[in-house]
Amino acid sequence: MNEGENGGVPDDALIRTTLAGDDGAFGQLVDRYKGRAFAVAVGIVGDGDDALDVVQDSFIKAYYKLKEFRFGANFYTWFYRLLVNQAIDRWRKSARSAEVPFDEKWLSEEASPPDAFAYPRTPEDLVRDRELGDALQRAVDALPAYHRAVIVLREVDGMAYDEIAKVLGCSVGTVMSRLHYARGKLKEALKAHREG
Amino acid sequence: MTMNCVAALERIEAKADGLLPPEEEAALAGHLAVCPACSAEEAAISATGPLLRAVTGIRANEKTPAIDAMWTRVRAGIGEAREAPRRPLWAARWAWIPAAFALAVLALLFYPARTDRPPFHPRTFDVAVEDVESDVATVALVDKGEDLPRVIWIIEDAKT
Repeated sequence: MNEGENGGVPDDALIRTTLAGDDGAFGQLVDRYKGRAFAVAVGIVGDGDDALDVVQDSFIKAYYKLKEFRFGANFYTWFYRLLVNQAIDRWRKSARSAEVPFDEKWLSEEASPPDAFAYPRTPEDLVRDRELGDALQRAVDALPAYHRAVIVLREVDGMAYDEIAKVLGCSVGTVMSRLHYARGKLKEALKAHREG
Repeated sequence: MTMNCVAALERIEAKADGLLPPEEEAALAGHLAVCPACSAEEAAISATGPLLRAVTGIRANEKTPAIDAMWTRVRAGIGEAREAPRRPLWAARWAWIPAAFALAVLALLFYPARTDRPPFHPRTFDVAVEDVESDVATVALVDKGEDLPRVIWIIEDAKT
Protein backbone atom coordinates (compact mmCIF):
# COMPACT_ATOMS: atom_id res chain seq x y z
CA MET A 1 0.00 0.00 0.00
CA ASN A 2 1.92 3.01 -1.27
CA GLU A 3 5.16 1.90 0.28
CA GLY A 4 7.99 4.22 -0.41
CA GLU A 5 10.67 3.02 -2.70
CA ASN A 6 13.51 1.17 -0.97
CA GLY A 7 11.46 0.89 2.25
CA GLY A 8 10.91 4.59 2.88
CA VAL A 9 7.98 6.19 4.66
CA PRO A 10 4.73 5.13 2.96
CA ASP A 11 3.03 7.68 0.75
CA ASP A 12 -0.10 7.69 2.91
CA ALA A 13 1.93 8.66 5.99
CA LEU A 14 3.62 11.50 4.11
CA ILE A 15 0.25 12.74 2.91
CA ARG A 16 -1.20 12.71 6.44
CA THR A 17 1.83 14.59 7.73
CA THR A 18 1.51 17.15 4.97
CA LEU A 19 -2.17 17.67 5.73
CA ALA A 20 -1.19 18.16 9.37
CA GLY A 21 0.90 21.14 8.30
CA ASP A 22 4.36 19.73 7.59
CA ASP A 23 5.28 20.79 4.06
CA GLY A 24 8.57 18.94 4.36
CA ALA A 25 6.64 15.68 4.10
CA PHE A 26 5.27 16.81 0.75
CA GLY A 27 8.85 17.59 -0.24
CA GLN A 28 9.66 13.92 0.30
CA LEU A 29 6.85 12.95 -2.04
CA VAL A 30 8.20 15.37 -4.63
CA ASP A 31 11.68 13.91 -4.33
CA ARG A 32 10.29 10.39 -4.60
CA TYR A 33 8.37 10.90 -7.84
CA LYS A 34 10.02 13.84 -9.59
CA GLY A 35 12.22 11.68 -11.82
CA ARG A 36 9.42 9.46 -13.05
CA ALA A 37 7.12 12.45 -13.39
CA PHE A 38 9.65 14.25 -15.56
CA ALA A 39 10.12 11.21 -17.78
CA VAL A 40 6.38 10.98 -18.40
CA ALA A 41 5.99 14.73 -18.89
CA VAL A 42 8.86 15.02 -21.36
CA GLY A 43 7.53 12.03 -23.27
CA ILE A 44 4.21 13.80 -23.72
CA VAL A 45 5.27 17.41 -24.26
CA GLY A 46 8.58 16.67 -25.96
CA ASP A 47 10.46 19.65 -24.56
CA GLY A 48 12.57 19.54 -21.40
CA ASP A 49 11.74 23.03 -20.16
CA ASP A 50 8.03 22.56 -20.76
CA ALA A 51 8.24 19.23 -18.95
CA LEU A 52 9.84 20.89 -15.92
CA ASP A 53 7.01 23.42 -15.80
CA VAL A 54 4.43 20.65 -16.12
CA VAL A 55 5.97 18.67 -13.28
CA GLN A 56 6.20 21.76 -11.06
CA ASP A 57 2.62 22.80 -11.78
CA SER A 58 1.37 19.26 -11.23
CA PHE A 59 3.00 18.99 -7.83
CA ILE A 60 1.65 22.39 -6.80
CA LYS A 61 -1.83 21.36 -7.91
CA ALA A 62 -1.47 18.06 -6.06
CA TYR A 63 -0.48 19.94 -2.90
CA TYR A 64 -3.66 21.99 -2.95
CA LYS A 65 -5.83 19.00 -3.87
CA LEU A 66 -4.26 16.71 -1.29
CA LYS A 67 -7.30 16.95 0.98
CA GLU A 68 -9.30 15.25 -1.81
CA PHE A 69 -6.98 12.22 -1.83
CA ARG A 70 -8.70 9.02 -0.74
CA PHE A 71 -6.48 7.08 1.63
CA GLY A 72 -5.97 3.53 0.49
CA ALA A 73 -5.76 4.57 -3.13
CA ASN A 74 -2.46 4.72 -4.94
CA PHE A 75 -0.85 8.17 -4.68
CA TYR A 76 1.18 7.98 -7.85
CA THR A 77 -1.85 6.85 -9.88
CA TRP A 78 -3.81 9.79 -8.43
CA PHE A 79 -0.90 12.16 -9.05
CA TYR A 80 -0.23 10.86 -12.54
CA ARG A 81 -3.79 11.72 -13.52
CA LEU A 82 -3.05 15.35 -12.66
CA LEU A 83 0.33 15.14 -14.38
CA VAL A 84 -0.94 13.64 -17.64
CA ASN A 85 -3.78 16.16 -17.90
CA GLN A 86 -1.37 19.04 -17.25
CA ALA A 87 1.05 17.66 -19.85
CA ILE A 88 -1.63 17.22 -22.49
CA ASP A 89 -3.00 20.73 -21.82
CA ARG A 90 0.49 22.17 -22.08
CA TRP A 91 1.21 20.33 -25.29
CA ARG A 92 -2.03 21.51 -26.87
CA LYS A 93 -1.24 25.12 -26.02
CA SER A 94 2.37 24.98 -27.13
CA ALA A 95 3.70 25.78 -30.56
CA ARG A 96 4.81 22.18 -30.99
CA SER A 97 1.27 21.01 -31.46
CA ALA A 98 0.78 23.48 -34.29
CA GLU A 99 4.09 23.20 -36.03
CA VAL A 100 4.94 19.55 -36.11
CA PRO A 101 4.02 18.34 -39.55
CA PHE A 102 2.86 14.79 -39.88
CA ASP A 103 4.87 13.12 -42.57
CA GLU A 104 2.65 10.82 -44.61
CA LYS A 105 5.54 8.53 -45.39
CA TRP A 106 5.41 7.49 -41.75
CA LEU A 107 2.14 5.81 -42.63
CA SER A 108 3.55 4.04 -45.64
CA GLU A 109 2.49 0.45 -45.91
CA GLU A 110 4.66 -0.01 -48.97
CA ALA A 111 7.91 -0.32 -47.13
CA SER A 112 9.47 -3.67 -47.74
CA PRO A 113 10.00 -5.92 -44.75
CA PRO A 114 13.12 -4.66 -43.03
CA ASP A 115 16.07 -6.90 -42.72
CA ALA A 116 17.73 -7.50 -39.40
CA PHE A 117 18.60 -4.21 -37.76
CA ALA A 118 19.95 -3.38 -34.36
CA TYR A 119 18.07 -0.44 -32.94
CA PRO A 120 19.84 1.67 -30.34
CA ARG A 121 18.61 0.67 -26.90
CA THR A 122 20.41 3.00 -24.51
CA PRO A 123 20.92 6.76 -24.30
CA GLU A 124 24.57 6.15 -25.12
CA ASP A 125 23.64 4.28 -28.30
CA LEU A 126 21.14 6.94 -29.20
CA VAL A 127 23.67 9.74 -28.91
CA ARG A 128 25.37 8.24 -31.92
CA ASP A 129 22.10 8.33 -33.84
CA ARG A 130 20.45 11.51 -32.59
CA GLU A 131 18.40 11.79 -35.77
CA LEU A 132 16.68 8.52 -34.95
CA GLY A 133 15.70 9.87 -31.56
CA ASP A 134 14.42 13.04 -33.17
CA ALA A 135 12.43 11.02 -35.71
CA LEU A 136 10.91 8.99 -32.90
CA GLN A 137 10.04 12.13 -30.92
CA ARG A 138 8.38 13.64 -34.00
CA ALA A 139 6.34 10.49 -34.39
CA VAL A 140 5.32 10.68 -30.73
CA ASP A 141 4.37 14.35 -31.16
CA ALA A 142 2.17 13.43 -34.12
CA LEU A 143 0.13 10.99 -32.04
CA PRO A 144 -3.22 12.09 -30.64
CA ALA A 145 -2.81 13.32 -27.06
CA TYR A 146 -4.18 10.32 -25.19
CA HIS A 147 -2.43 7.80 -27.48
CA ARG A 148 0.79 9.60 -26.65
CA ALA A 149 0.03 9.43 -22.96
CA VAL A 150 -0.63 5.68 -23.18
CA ILE A 151 2.62 4.85 -24.96
CA VAL A 152 4.63 7.02 -22.58
CA LEU A 153 3.03 5.59 -19.45
CA ARG A 154 3.54 2.05 -20.73
CA GLU A 155 6.98 2.23 -22.32
CA VAL A 156 8.68 4.95 -20.29
CA ASP A 157 7.10 4.53 -16.88
CA GLY A 158 6.38 0.81 -17.15
CA MET A 159 2.80 1.11 -15.91
CA ALA A 160 0.51 -1.87 -16.19
CA TYR A 161 -2.59 -1.67 -18.37
CA ASP A 162 -5.00 -1.40 -15.45
CA GLU A 163 -2.97 1.38 -13.83
CA ILE A 164 -2.90 3.33 -17.12
CA ALA A 165 -6.67 2.84 -17.37
CA LYS A 166 -7.10 4.38 -13.91
CA VAL A 167 -4.84 7.32 -14.70
CA LEU A 168 -6.60 8.11 -17.96
CA GLY A 169 -10.08 7.24 -16.78
CA CYS A 170 -10.74 4.71 -19.53
CA SER A 171 -11.09 0.96 -19.91
CA VAL A 172 -8.23 -1.52 -20.24
CA GLY A 173 -9.53 -2.30 -23.72
CA THR A 174 -9.16 1.34 -24.71
CA VAL A 175 -5.63 1.37 -23.31
CA MET A 176 -4.71 -1.70 -25.39
CA SER A 177 -6.29 -0.24 -28.50
CA ARG A 178 -4.48 3.08 -28.15
CA LEU A 179 -1.22 1.30 -27.38
CA HIS A 180 -1.54 -0.86 -30.46
CA TYR A 181 -2.23 2.21 -32.60
CA ALA A 182 0.67 4.18 -31.12
CA ARG A 183 3.15 1.32 -31.49
CA GLY A 184 2.13 0.90 -35.09
CA LYS A 185 2.78 4.58 -35.84
CA LEU A 186 6.13 4.58 -34.08
CA LYS A 187 7.15 1.39 -35.82
CA GLU A 188 6.39 2.97 -39.19
CA ALA A 189 8.37 6.05 -38.23
CA LEU A 190 11.38 3.91 -37.37
CA LYS A 191 11.09 2.02 -40.65
CA ALA A 192 10.78 5.25 -42.62
CA HIS A 193 13.81 6.72 -40.88
CA ARG A 194 15.92 3.71 -41.71
CA GLU A 195 14.85 3.73 -45.32
CA GLY A 196 14.83 7.53 -45.75
CA MET B 1 2.62 -25.90 -30.72
CA THR B 2 3.34 -24.34 -34.10
CA MET B 3 2.35 -20.86 -35.14
CA ASN B 4 1.70 -19.10 -38.44
CA CYS B 5 2.43 -15.45 -39.26
CA VAL B 6 -1.09 -14.23 -38.47
CA ALA B 7 -1.03 -15.76 -35.02
CA ALA B 8 2.54 -14.55 -34.46
CA LEU B 9 1.75 -10.95 -35.37
CA GLU B 10 -1.21 -11.00 -32.97
CA ARG B 11 1.06 -12.03 -30.11
CA ILE B 12 4.10 -9.83 -30.61
CA GLU B 13 2.73 -6.93 -28.55
CA ALA B 14 1.66 -9.21 -25.75
CA LYS B 15 5.19 -10.59 -25.68
CA ALA B 16 6.60 -7.03 -25.55
CA ASP B 17 4.40 -6.39 -22.48
CA GLY B 18 5.31 -9.67 -20.81
CA LEU B 19 1.74 -10.94 -20.98
CA LEU B 20 2.21 -14.04 -23.11
CA PRO B 21 1.76 -17.46 -21.44
CA PRO B 22 4.97 -19.51 -21.48
CA GLU B 23 3.80 -22.05 -24.06
CA GLU B 24 2.70 -19.32 -26.48
CA GLU B 25 5.93 -17.41 -25.94
CA ALA B 26 7.88 -20.56 -26.82
CA ALA B 27 5.78 -21.09 -29.92
CA LEU B 28 6.28 -17.49 -30.96
CA ALA B 29 10.00 -17.75 -30.46
CA GLY B 30 10.02 -20.83 -32.67
CA HIS B 31 8.18 -18.97 -35.43
CA LEU B 32 10.37 -15.87 -35.20
CA ALA B 33 13.47 -18.04 -35.58
CA VAL B 34 12.34 -19.14 -39.05
CA CYS B 35 10.38 -16.11 -40.29
CA PRO B 36 12.48 -13.02 -41.14
CA ALA B 37 9.45 -10.79 -41.74
CA CYS B 38 7.83 -11.53 -38.38
CA SER B 39 11.21 -11.35 -36.69
CA ALA B 40 11.77 -7.86 -38.10
CA GLU B 41 8.28 -6.82 -37.01
CA GLU B 42 8.99 -8.06 -33.49
CA ALA B 43 12.31 -6.22 -33.46
CA ALA B 44 10.63 -2.95 -34.45
CA ILE B 45 7.85 -3.28 -31.88
CA SER B 46 10.26 -4.33 -29.14
CA ALA B 47 12.57 -1.42 -29.94
CA THR B 48 9.93 1.19 -29.29
CA GLY B 49 10.10 1.02 -25.53
CA PRO B 50 13.88 1.10 -25.12
CA LEU B 51 14.14 3.87 -27.72
CA LEU B 52 11.54 6.00 -25.99
CA ARG B 53 13.29 5.44 -22.68
CA ALA B 54 16.62 6.31 -24.30
CA VAL B 55 15.21 9.56 -25.72
CA THR B 56 13.72 10.37 -22.33
CA GLY B 57 16.99 9.51 -20.64
CA ILE B 58 18.87 11.98 -22.82
CA ARG B 59 16.38 14.72 -22.04
CA ALA B 60 16.46 13.91 -18.34
CA ASN B 61 20.26 14.04 -18.29
CA GLU B 62 20.11 17.49 -19.85
CA LYS B 63 17.80 18.70 -17.08
CA THR B 64 19.28 16.86 -14.08
CA PRO B 65 20.10 19.98 -12.02
CA ALA B 66 16.60 21.38 -12.52
CA ILE B 67 14.98 18.04 -11.68
CA ASP B 68 17.11 17.81 -8.54
CA ALA B 69 15.88 21.24 -7.51
CA MET B 70 12.22 20.42 -8.15
CA TRP B 71 11.16 20.69 -4.50
CA THR B 72 12.66 24.19 -4.33
CA ARG B 73 10.58 25.20 -7.35
CA VAL B 74 7.43 23.56 -6.03
CA ARG B 75 7.82 25.12 -2.60
CA ALA B 76 8.27 28.55 -4.19
CA GLY B 77 5.14 28.00 -6.26
CA ILE B 78 3.14 26.96 -3.20
CA GLY B 79 4.33 30.10 -1.42
CA GLU B 80 3.31 32.32 -4.33
CA ALA B 81 -0.14 30.75 -4.45
CA ARG B 82 -0.58 31.36 -0.72
CA GLU B 83 0.37 35.02 -1.02
CA ALA B 84 -1.83 35.75 -4.03
CA PRO B 85 -4.65 38.15 -3.05
CA ARG B 86 -7.97 36.41 -2.78
CA ARG B 87 -11.48 37.81 -2.82
CA PRO B 88 -13.20 37.59 0.55
CA LEU B 89 -15.58 34.69 0.81
CA TRP B 90 -18.56 37.00 1.30
CA ALA B 91 -17.73 38.77 -1.99
CA ALA B 92 -17.68 35.50 -3.86
CA ARG B 93 -20.93 34.38 -2.26
CA TRP B 94 -22.93 37.55 -2.81
CA ALA B 95 -21.38 38.83 -6.02
CA TRP B 96 -24.38 37.72 -8.03
CA ILE B 97 -26.77 40.15 -6.34
CA PRO B 98 -25.84 43.36 -8.20
CA ALA B 99 -25.97 41.54 -11.51
CA ALA B 100 -29.38 40.06 -10.71
CA PHE B 101 -30.67 43.51 -9.68
CA ALA B 102 -29.47 45.07 -12.92
CA LEU B 103 -31.15 42.31 -14.94
CA ALA B 104 -34.40 42.81 -13.06
CA VAL B 105 -34.38 46.56 -13.76
CA LEU B 106 -33.73 45.97 -17.44
CA ALA B 107 -36.53 43.41 -17.56
CA LEU B 108 -38.97 45.87 -15.99
CA LEU B 109 -37.94 48.59 -18.42
CA PHE B 110 -38.23 46.57 -21.59
CA TYR B 111 -41.02 44.16 -20.79
CA PRO B 112 -44.38 45.75 -19.93
CA ALA B 113 -46.69 44.15 -17.37
CA ARG B 114 -49.45 43.55 -19.94
CA THR B 115 -48.60 40.27 -21.59
CA ASP B 116 -50.74 40.89 -24.70
CA ARG B 117 -48.42 43.63 -25.83
CA PRO B 118 -45.14 42.74 -27.47
CA PRO B 119 -41.96 43.55 -25.56
CA PHE B 120 -40.87 47.12 -25.92
CA HIS B 121 -37.44 47.35 -27.49
CA PRO B 122 -36.66 50.99 -28.25
CA ARG B 123 -33.93 51.73 -30.69
CA THR B 124 -33.50 55.09 -29.10
CA PHE B 125 -34.23 56.07 -25.61
CA ASP B 126 -35.44 59.58 -26.16
CA VAL B 127 -36.87 60.56 -22.82
CA ALA B 128 -38.76 63.76 -22.21
CA VAL B 129 -40.31 65.02 -19.06
CA GLU B 130 -43.91 66.17 -19.46
CA ASP B 131 -46.30 67.70 -17.09
CA VAL B 132 -49.77 66.30 -16.80
CA GLU B 133 -52.33 68.37 -15.03
CA SER B 134 -54.07 66.53 -12.27
CA ASP B 135 -55.02 66.87 -8.66
CA VAL B 136 -51.73 65.48 -7.70
CA ALA B 137 -48.31 66.46 -8.79
CA THR B 138 -47.36 64.12 -11.54
CA VAL B 139 -44.20 63.82 -13.55
CA ALA B 140 -44.12 61.44 -16.43
CA LEU B 141 -41.02 60.23 -18.17
CA VAL B 142 -42.03 59.53 -21.73
CA ASP B 143 -40.12 57.58 -24.26
CA LYS B 144 -40.43 59.12 -27.74
CA GLY B 145 -38.68 56.38 -29.67
CA GLU B 146 -39.84 54.94 -32.93
CA ASP B 147 -43.10 53.64 -31.48
CA LEU B 148 -45.89 55.67 -29.99
CA PRO B 149 -44.82 57.57 -26.91
CA ARG B 150 -45.00 55.43 -23.87
CA VAL B 151 -44.94 56.43 -20.28
CA ILE B 152 -42.17 54.52 -18.66
CA TRP B 153 -42.01 56.14 -15.29
CA ILE B 154 -44.50 58.12 -13.24
CA ILE B 155 -43.57 60.12 -10.24
CA GLU B 156 -46.49 61.25 -8.07
CA ASP B 157 -46.07 63.42 -5.08
CA ALA B 158 -42.33 62.89 -5.32
CA LYS B 159 -42.85 59.18 -5.04
CA THR B 160 -42.37 56.76 -7.93
